[in-house]
Amino acid sequence: MSQRKKIGFLISGLVMLAGIVTWFYQYQEGLVLTHMRNSYSWGLYVSGLAFFVGNAAGGLVLSSLIYLFGVKSLKPFAKLGALTAFANVTAAMISILPDIGKPLRLYNMLLHPHFDSPLVWDVIVLNLYAGLSLLYLYILMLPELKGPLAKIAIKVDHPGEFSEKWAKRLAPFSLVAAIGIHVVTAWIFSTQGGREWWFTAAMAPDFIAVAVSCGTAVVFIVSLLTYGFKEAHQPAYRSMATIMAAALFVHLFLMYNDFIIHFWYGAAEALSTLSITFIDYGAAHALEVFAPLLAVILLLNRKIRQRAGTMIASCLLLILGVLSHRFLIMPAAFDKISLTIKPLGLQHVEWSMPIASGQYDPLGNTFVTKWHYFPSIVEIIIFMGVVAFMCFVILFAIDRFPIAEKADA
Amino acid sequence: MKRGMVIDLEKCIGCRSCVVACKQHNAQPPGNWWNRVFTPGSSRHLTPPEKGREYFLPVHCQHCENAPCEKVCPVGATYRHDDGTILVDYERCIGCRYCMAACPYGVRQFNWEDSKKAMKKYGYQDGYTYGYPDDYRLKGRLVYMQSRPKGIVEKCNFCVHYLEKGLDPACVRACPGKARHVGDLDDPESNVSKMIRDKNGFNLMAEKGTRPTVFYLPPKRKEN
Repeated sequence: MSQRKKIGFLISGLVMLAGIVTWFYQYQEGLVLTHMRNSYSWGLYVSGLAFFVGNAAGGLVLSSLIYLFGVKSLKPFAKLGALTAFANVTAAMISILPDIGKPLRLYNMLLHPHFDSPLVWDVIVLNLYAGLSLLYLYILMLPELKGPLAKIAIKVDHPGEFSEKWAKRLAPFSLVAAIGIHVVTAWIFSTQGGREWWFTAAMAPDFIAVAVSCGTAVVFIVSLLTYGFKEAHQPAYRSMATIMAAALFVHLFLMYNDFIIHFWYGAAEALSTLSITFIDYGAAHALEVFAPLLAVILLLNRKIRQRAGTMIASCLLLILGVLSHRFLIMPAAFDKISLTIKPLGLQHVEWSMPIASGQYDPLGNTFVTKWHYFPSIVEIIIFMGVVAFMCFVILFAIDRFPIAEKADA
Repeated sequence: MKRGMVIDLEKCIGCRSCVVACKQHNAQPPGNWWNRVFTPGSSRHLTPPEKGREYFLPVHCQHCENAPCEKVCPVGATYRHDDGTILVDYERCIGCRYCMAACPYGVRQFNWEDSKKAMKKYGYQDGYTYGYPDDYRLKGRLVYMQSRPKGIVEKCNFCVHYLEKGLDPACVRACPGKARHVGDLDDPESNVSKMIRDKNGFNLMAEKGTRPTVFYLPPKRKEN
């Protein structure tokens, strides 16, 4: 094992361990250790779900481009795409666990699933996608499962042809499932008429756009770390950069299209919602727009694509912007009290009904109308632990299984 | 039978007796309040936002007919009783708080920590307990318990544990202004149906389409 790999395993392993220990501590003490409270009841963990689901789009992009549209230059990255998809969709499901107040009761999802709930649909489609990604990865690896790995290979006469044929057959299904995870995850939020910020038909298509952009960025990074910079891969780099840019522009269009119609109409409720994103969380909004924009402008430049380091940095910049975008799902939904009314007889006053915070605080207010949320250190460590888990899975799989193309490496 | 409530804002004096009765009878942990009363338009309760423009607004679970909280619950822990009341099964709730995100009225409360431990931590006198002491099961489902475990969601249950005793909810009984009434919304001749009809009963945020079964009667215009 190379020095670099060892360091990768060590760091991801340690951070993952820190995450597990911190989660155990949070499980003991309760979610009081987070900075969420009654009026602001979802935070980084649920943003994490949306973030990892988005990152899991790599498999979709690559498999559909290769097998449905015949983009041959991406073929060496197909297995990496399936692997990042599996690692991220698993991370998405794990990231939601620390948000659950009674995780030991999760079996109720199997015993008493309530099919009206978009959360139930999401659990189904995420598991389906995790299974399909794994199956897809297995089929792609099949011709190279030799030596000690031959034990797990199914016996077929011509593994190469078999693999090619079934990958092609599976591609449309994984495409549907992949689109499904973004749409259904968006529906968790966008079905909620009680929260103006979420209640928009733009959210599901926007989730797809964001996912195609950042899912590709994840595969891009993993492929550069696996193969290093290769001039032969230049067409693939170019394809991925173009996909990321196009998807990002669609995302920015969908997002601002939604903002503009609400801003133009100028209803007080919509303006107060927008002001949370643009004023209270203005810096985070600038980050969500300009970091990815700068990233794709850089990546579209041929010079930037001459070095692995600059490409990785650009992709990380895009992912950072998307993380900020996912974080911003919550503030404009929760930092404004839903029950905001014009009091009888006072036409021009907007007034919010305070909500009990949920924690007795000798110095703080019992009832609040604003809750400026920033994740607590416990939430951040647990979230980093999930990121580390995702990295660990990818490292481990590349180390143990024939995922990197040997001829290329 | 569709159980509903009418709150007469003309009669409400803003004393918060209902808030206290609710908190005590239902053994709400420190920091959690199922019921709250404020002065609309004002940042300070009992302070007129404008001269002669003062009224008080009590808000708790609206027991909606199209309840988003019930629809989003992934395990059916939040469910509708035969009389329309929305209840939470304390044994089934997984604590995902999707219902809190779904509710436009902000009435749902989460147990961020263990209630007994919290009372100790925040200096309640040793051994002090309050609230209806027994567990209450409705058709086998645990819809009330005195000591709340951490990690579950709770909210107003229309005092379901008093229903079979023929008792009205604690807030109704405790209201010194007699501003609160419960009754059958399906019966056009019931007290609540009549009041809604005769006194212009309205819902909070009717535009959300939640169809609450809690109605409010508007206060009279005050003299300046």
